[in-house]
Amino acid sequence: MSSIVISGDTSGAITLAAPAVSGTNTATLPAATGTVMVSGNMPAFSAYANASQSITNATFTKLQFQTEEFDTANCFDSTTNYRFTPNVAGYYQINGAYNVGGTITGGLVSIFKNGSELKRGVWFATNFADTSVSSLVYMNGSTDYIELYAYITGSSILVGSGSNLTWFNGALVRAA
Amino acid sequence: MTLYDKIMALYPSLTTEDFLTVITLQNDSDNKGDYIKAWNHPTLAKPTQEQLDAVTGV
Repeated sequence: MSSIVISGDTSGAITLAAPAVSGTNTATLPAATGTVMVSGNMPAFSAYANASQSITNATFTKLQFQTEEFDTANCFDSTTNYRFTPNVAGYYQINGAYNVGGTITGGLVSIFKNGSELKRGVWFATNFADTSVSSLVYMNGSTDYIELYAYITGSSILVGSGSNLTWFNGALVRAA
Repeated sequence: MTLYDKIMALYPSLTTEDFLTVITLQNDSDNKGDYIKAWNHPTLAKPTQEQLDAVTGV
């Protein structure tokens, strides 16, 4: 397999290698300055709630996601804080949803960044509902973290569980 | 009583809209309970802990 090795000024090296398949292909680099994105530096995660969660009326409450479907860079905490703290700076597509039952009058879901609301999702005004939120979020790759919070009005509020009902995921779409 | 219930007992004029705009109650699911994350009501002062503690349930 043919390859090119580029050594760093002080240490390390990058190897560009051609795949061991027949045929000729051309990869054209754009006339732009930036960071090359490869799968190894593109964190992605998906997690869901594996248990119902009781929510207090009219209070933004962090949702708990205990089961990971994948966590490519081990950046999602599914045991204590239920948050995504990516280790690569850039712009992330973040998505979340939940299902709720009880005696509900309304609610929504929000993406929180570093403990404060960043983006608010769709408001629902029915009993037994599903809602979602989706947004691009810049993360600094070190201290920034995101979480999903629910705000619901009513009584006996119970957010449901399941990979199809109450879930949280995200992935890097553009490096910083 | 929840924190929301206590605040409503102190300020019964507050609306659903208030709790989505000028007042934020938050719970970080860390077993520390509900707290006032933000209080930006234009006319009602943020209740003190003493005022909240004085509210009794019904």
